[in-house]
Amino acid sequence: MPRVDDRIDIPAPLVGVQLGWRSWSLIVASSLLGLFALGWPLLLPAVDMPTEHAADAPFILAAMLPLILLLVVAQISDGGLDSKALAMLGVLSAINAVIRPALGAGTAGVESVFFLIILAGRVFGPGFGFLLGYTSLFASALLTAGVGPWLPFQMMCAGWVGLAAGLLPRRVRGKGEIAMLMGLGVVAAYVFGVLLNLWFWPFVTGVGVDGVATGSLDYVPGAPFLDNLTSFLWFTLLTSTAGWDTGRAITTAVAILVLGRPLLTVLRRAAGMSRISRS
Amino acid sequence: MIRFEGVTFRYPSNDLLRLDGVSFEIEEGELCLVIGPTGSGKSTLLGSVNNLVPRFTGGTRTGRIVIDDRDTTMLHTRELATTVGYVGQDPLAGFVTDNVEEELAYSMEQLGFPEAEMRRRVEETLDLLGIADLRRRALRTLSGGQQQRVAIGSVLASSPKVLVLDEPTSALDPIAAEEVLALISRLVRDLGTTVLLAEHRMERVIEFADSVLLVSPDGSVAHGPVRDVLATAPIRPPLVELGISQGWEPLPLTIREGRRLAAPQRRTWAEHPPTLPRPFAPGSVTLTARGIVVKYPSVVAVRGVDLDLHRGQVTALMGRNGCGKSSLMWAIQGAGNKSAGRVESAGQVSLVPQTASDLLYLASVEAECAAGDAVAGAAAGTTMALLRTLVPTIDADAHPRDLSEGQKIAVVLAVELVGNPDVVLLDEPTRGLDYAAKAVLGETIQRMADDGRAVLIATHDVEMAARVCSRVVVMAEGEIVSDGPARDVLASSQLLATQVAKVANPVPLLTVEEYDRASR
Amino acid sequence: MIKRYFLPRPLHPFAWWGFALAIAVAASTTTNPLFLLGTIAVVTLVTLARRGDNPWAKGYKLYLLLGLFVVAFRVAFRVVFGGGDGPTVLFTLPEIPLPDFVRGIRLLGPVSLESLLYGLYDGLRLATMIICVGAANSLANPKRLLAALPSALYELGTILIVSFSVFPQLGESFLRVMRVRKLRRRQSTMADGGGRKTRRERLGVVETIIIPVLSDALERSIALAASMEVRGYGRSGVATGRERLTSTAAGLGGVMLLAVWSYFLLARPGIGPSVLGVNLLEAALLVGGVAAVVAALRMAGRHVRRTRYRRDRWGVAETLTVACGLVMALIVHYLRVIGDPTALNPSITPLVWPTLTFPLLAALVVAALPAFITPPPSLTAGRPTMEGVS
Repeated sequence: MPRVDDRIDIPAPLVGVQLGWRSWSLIVASSLLGLFALGWPLLLPAVDMPTEHAADAPFILAAMLPLILLLVVAQISDGGLDSKALAMLGVLSAINAVIRPALGAGTAGVESVFFLIILAGRVFGPGFGFLLGYTSLFASALLTAGVGPWLPFQMMCAGWVGLAAGLLPRRVRGKGEIAMLMGLGVVAAYVFGVLLNLWFWPFVTGVGVDGVATGSLDYVPGAPFLDNLTSFLWFTLLTSTAGWDTGRAITTAVAILVLGRPLLTVLRRAAGMSRISRS
Repeated sequence: MIRFEGVTFRYPSNDLLRLDGVSFEIEEGELCLVIGPTGSGKSTLLGSVNNLVPRFTGGTRTGRIVIDDRDTTMLHTRELATTVGYVGQDPLAGFVTDNVEEELAYSMEQLGFPEAEMRRRVEETLDLLGIADLRRRALRTLSGGQQQRVAIGSVLASSPKVLVLDEPTSALDPIAAEEVLALISRLVRDLGTTVLLAEHRMERVIEFADSVLLVSPDGSVAHGPVRDVLATAPIRPPLVELGISQGWEPLPLTIREGRRLAAPQRRTWAEHPPTLPRPFAPGSVTLTARGIVVKYPSVVAVRGVDLDLHRGQVTALMGRNGCGKSSLMWAIQGAGNKSAGRVESAGQVSLVPQTASDLLYLASVEAECAAGDAVAGAAAGTTMALLRTLVPTIDADAHPRDLSEGQKIAVVLAVELVGNPDVVLLDEPTRGLDYAAKAVLGETIQRMADDGRAVLIATHDVEMAARVCSRVVVMAEGEIVSDGPARDVLASSQLLATQVAKVANPVPLLTVEEYDRASR
Repeated sequence: MIKRYFLPRPLHPFAWWGFALAIAVAASTTTNPLFLLGTIAVVTLVTLARRGDNPWAKGYKLYLLLGLFVVAFRVAFRVVFGGGDGPTVLFTLPEIPLPDFVRGIRLLGPVSLESLLYGLYDGLRLATMIICVGAANSLANPKRLLAALPSALYELGTILIVSFSVFPQLGESFLRVMRVRKLRRRQSTMADGGGRKTRRERLGVVETIIIPVLSDALERSIALAASMEVRGYGRSGVATGRERLTSTAAGLGGVMLLAVWSYFLLARPGIGPSVLGVNLLEAALLVGGVAAVVAALRMAGRHVRRTRYRRDRWGVAETLTVACGLVMALIVHYLRVIGDPTALNPSITPLVWPTLTFPLLAALVVAALPAFITPPPSLTAGRPTMEGVS
């Protein structure tokens, strides 16, 4: 009987999501479009463009974005989302969906969704972090009645946070690693807040029309860049930076400081753990 | 049907050969019982059948595997989904969806079955397993036995030729286990499915098994007819043990066979009753519980129980699931809910909960032990030394969650014992342990009692209760229904009698050693 | 025939989303408070009549509260940051002087009726749209929605299904660990006579809970992955490199078309000819972009051979439901482009009492129809029974 090659040699499996150049190109393209969809109220005045449809734009863009997010997810999972990464994403999304309403949301800006995304992105890599950002917010919204036009934007920003956590230098370990992740947490908390406010701003305050009954914090289409920037900065400072964003930054940093080391250990152990049982 | 040819396997980053040149062949329609001590590579062997090992786990494997005349050596696990159905230990952890119907259909969805056929097969599987009334239930709300039946159904729906079951009852109570094992034996008989079954409740399936595959810790296997392999196996059910020590031929596999072989002995005893071991003389009362009531919003778990625990005595607390065993233990310890009653105890009361791993959250066994020293205010290394007396081979650097179930209990027990408690409560410590691990645990418990501690074990395991307990308390619906010396309670009961007791009935002998001594 | 049509069954989730989004689109182009309140009432009616008994269905109340909050927030904003700019000043609050560099920001000061009404009208419009989304979320079971996703998004759907089923288990795991933790704490205080803090306590409340729960969950996820693998999970059929390239190219192209479209929409509207109030260039870009993205999604999922168990079917009731939403949107669009725009946007300066004209009333009646002409949802989907507590 002819001997066929009967040796299977599989290296110790690692959990993660591979990002090929196709996935990267779509992530970059969708991120640029996403940034425009978030930043148009300031971007257009900055290049001195008049703005129309300002009142509808948050909705129109919110309707367009999900399609693009889905496209990115489809592209990444086409590249290779194995069962381990998938199950891990599901479980971690569920944990995020549990701790978000349990510890945060409503209680003085305690936002707990970030630290796990950051830690998991660090351990499992940028592709995993990116997807976890998407799925955590999506699962949390579906489970706790948070679906709305803001959801695609939140998902995208959380995806960026996970992506960034995965892209941080690999070699930093020990105390430096924790400090670095805390730094990312703080930056992410404020940037997330500002970006979402940028979207919320015309959405919540309303858009000033033709001098009729304009509130002084409103977005005024066609007004000079500096005017709109001032209005926005005041809006974001008053509504969230001092309260929500700082709360979010503190929560994230403290959570990473206290839980970072043990959680990284647990996650790293899980990354290489795949024996089907202990016997 | 299944043929292994010189299969050798080792995990990555570990030179130990888990399987070493394994060759065997299993015929179509055969029910093969896979046995072996914990850590012997049973799961590795079972996982190799559908290439979960090494495709999923990593590692290096050589040798060929042929299933149904197809060389499956290099295939991916998913390509074998229609050939090999695989069911793991914890059904709940393996569920992908959240209700019964969708779970049954999941595998077929993956394999691209046409919709009409899927619908038909789901209905058939529901009837085959007798779970049609549960079809829309959330999986989480099912009992353990129902969950495991759904898990088996979910792989059966795509009608695999081979069914591989890795300790499917280890997380279940005896009644649920019975349900599942009855189902498996029915499948073998009615459908002719080839089954590879690893099961530590051997006595329940041994009569249906066509062959036994013994996996040794050195990675070698022995495959052959049930009696031949069991005669030399290191682990075997008490009945077989009795048959060997009595020199019975052929070895008895069922109670009926055992009773027939023991008939002459029983006639001798009828004329000259054997001297029974002296009843155990308990020490002074060390814990008194009076009028314990535990009430949850919708159920009364414990209804006014009085219980005394004596120094140096091991007591078994038995009864079906949900009869209030755990609630009573937690109430006695003091950490649990207690609506009424009082507990008086001279010293400390320690409780080892059902899921011991919940108490282990540090990164190594050594760290857990050091924390144990700190809690008890003992000198550094005390806990570790104690642990070494319980399990000499334990690896101090291992992650507690990587330990076997028995080792986990040992670590938790060592941490508790450093505090020098007077009373030790163990909530189902034998769950998931094989015969060897139970023997080690039995010795540990005996030693605790010899040190003058009172020990209470909640257990379903009558053999364990017979071996180490001198008193048995049986609960039902939150009340104590019988309480007395183990010999009286266990030998007289239909349900709680040990295999030896059933063979020796009406002479109240519980264990193989007692039988041997009485027959000499 | 009629009896069979009305047999209880859940409607296809896309039908409810289509219905709700069409109404949201209609609401987005109007500020008539009477019409908006009517829309909220109609949507609530449909939701109460046709939602299932799953946990998501109960979330509707939260969306109503959120809508209320948005309206209140907008009006309050008018009062705090400049409520003037209208002829009818209702009252004047003491203005808080701000330094010069804060350009154009005014705190408090005079509050005009027009400004408040503008905030109210616009807030109401926003609230209506949020409530529409909430209605869709309560009417369509998200699990069925995920099951109806195209095969390219199968993985996303599976991740969410997994997290839905793990979600309640986490709670149980948490309670168990909490209970066990109590055991340890009690014992250590007894050993020390309740005095100094032990190492285990110093390790932190959160750590002793989170580590076991997380370890548990991660171990579960490995078991789950193995179980999925065993049961055939994994993409069957792999696309060739060329096909994948085409699908990526189509995706990128779609994203770019949509980017250009959104730029034109926001910054350069009205270039090119329009027909019936629809700009052709913008429409072409939008349709082209969406088509390219959809094509990319289809290509990515084409090689996957999977089937669905008891797929939701699209029947007459689904078509009727979506049609009701679309008819309302069309009536509103017609009014805006050709008919009577003042009915949609009642004037604030000068103040005119808003009216509910006949076409608007008709639109509301049409939108309310799904509450009566769709089959009722099938309830009693597996009531969980009480598990024995041991």
